[in-house]
Amino acid sequence: MSVQSSKRNSGQPVLPGEPLGVIEEFVPDAGTYVKDGVIHSKIVGRSLLDLLNKRVSVFPLVHGARVPKVGSIVIGQVSNVQTQIATVRIFKIGKKLLSGFFTGLLHVSDVHLRFVESMFDICKPGDIIRAKVISEKNRAYHLTTKDKSLGVVYAFCSQCGEVLELKGRGLRCPRCGKIEKRKTAIDYGIGII
Amino acid sequence: MSQKTEKLIDKKGLRLDGRKPDELRPIKIEVGVLSNADGSAYIEQGKNKILAAVYGPKELHPKHMALPDRMVLRCRYHMAPFSVQERKSPAPSRREIELSKVIREAIEPAIFVEYYPRTAIDVFVEVLQADGSTRCTSITAASLALADAGVPMRDLVVACSAGKVEDTIVLDLMDAEDKVGSADVPVAYMPNLGVITLLQMDGILTPEEFEKAVNLAIEGCKKIYALQKEALKAKYVSVKEVEE
Repeated sequence: MSVQSSKRNSGQPVLPGEPLGVIEEFVPDAGTYVKDGVIHSKIVGRSLLDLLNKRVSVFPLVHGARVPKVGSIVIGQVSNVQTQIATVRIFKIGKKLLSGFFTGLLHVSDVHLRFVESMFDICKPGDIIRAKVISEKNRAYHLTTKDKSLGVVYAFCSQCGEVLELKGRGLRCPRCGKIEKRKTAIDYGIGII
Repeated sequence: MSQKTEKLIDKKGLRLDGRKPDELRPIKIEVGVLSNADGSAYIEQGKNKILAAVYGPKELHPKHMALPDRMVLRCRYHMAPFSVQERKSPAPSRREIELSKVIREAIEPAIFVEYYPRTAIDVFVEVLQADGSTRCTSITAASLALADAGVPMRDLVVACSAGKVEDTIVLDLMDAEDKVGSADVPVAYMPNLGVITLLQMDGILTPEEFEKAVNLAIEGCKKIYALQKEALKAKYVSVKEVEE
C-alpha cells in the first residue's frame, strides 16, 4: 500500500480509508487511524501534513455524528421535573440540531452556586433550557446550569401556556399575570435557540 | 418466461444490453440528496434506482437494547411497491429482512462502532426501481450516506456482483441474467484495506469459476469506488470552493 508522491501535500481532499502515510514518517493526529502501520483518514476532509512536527491530521469537511461530550453546551426541553432532579430532552449540541435526541439529567445540586431548595423553582416541563454536560457516567448525561449564560432561555406559563416575560428577578405571564420563578440564563427571551 | 428463448449472450459475446462480459452498467451517484437526513445518497446503476438515508448517532429506545461499549447499527432494506414489474407488497418480506441483515453486516466492519457507545445509527435503504444486484447497489449507496453523515469510517464499502451466464463469467448481473443465469456472486469490498465484507454465492460454480468470479467482482468494485470518490468529492470539495 504505497502512497503516491504526487498526492503528498496539504489540502488534498481525502475520503474515509485513503492512505495518508506510514507511522515511520508521521504521528497520526485527529481524523486519522492506523491499520498495519499505515495511516488512513477516517472522515471526509482535507489532509494536513505538518512536516515540522511530523504530524498528519484531517481537517473535517463534514460536520456530523455529534454526541454530547463532557463540556459541551446543549439545548433541550425539560420533560419531567421532580423535587431533586429534572429530565431534559436534548435536541441541540453546540450549534448542531440533532436528528434524534439525547436524555440529560439536571440535579438540584448542579443548578446554582448557592443552595436551591426545590427543582420546581428552577424549571417546569416544557421550558427550553441551556446547560453544560459535566458527566456521562451511569449511562446518563449529567447537566449543570452553574453559569450566567446557562439556564432557562424560554419558559411557558404553567397556567395558560403563554411565553413568560422577565420582570425584575422573576418572570411574569403577559396574558394572565402569573408570577413564576425560574433559573434564567442571562439572555432569557432574546437568545436564539 | 419469454426471456428463456432469447440468448443472454450473442455470437459477438455481447450481453442483452450490449455490454461486454466484464463491463459494468452505467452508474450515476449523487450524495446529500435528502435535507432531513444526516446523510444520504442516491445511486442509479443501470435500471436500479436506490436511495439511502442515515440518521444518527442518536439515543436508542428502548434503552435496554443499547450496548454499553458500542453503537447499534440498524438497517432497513425496503423495496417500493412499484419497484418491480408486479406490485410488491409494501410489508417487509422474508427476503427484505434477510437483506437488511446482510447489508448491515457488510457495512458494520467499516464503521468505528466503539466511538459512540449507547447510541444507534439508522440506515434506510429504499429501492425505487429494481433490476438485479440490488444488495450490492444498496451497500454502495449506504456507505456513501454514512460518509455523508460524518460517521468515522475505516473505509468506504463498495459492492458489485459477478455470475455465470451461459458458461461465461460476467460482471454486474442484471435481473434477466440473475433469473436465467446459473450463478450469482455478490461481493462487498473495502478497496483501501483490501478486505471483503460480504461474500455470497447463489447457484453452482466450480472452484476455478468461483475464483474468477470473485476477482472479476473485486475489479468491478474498484471501478465503482472511483465513481464513489468522485461523487463525494463533487459534493464536499465544490461546496468548499464556493465558500472561499
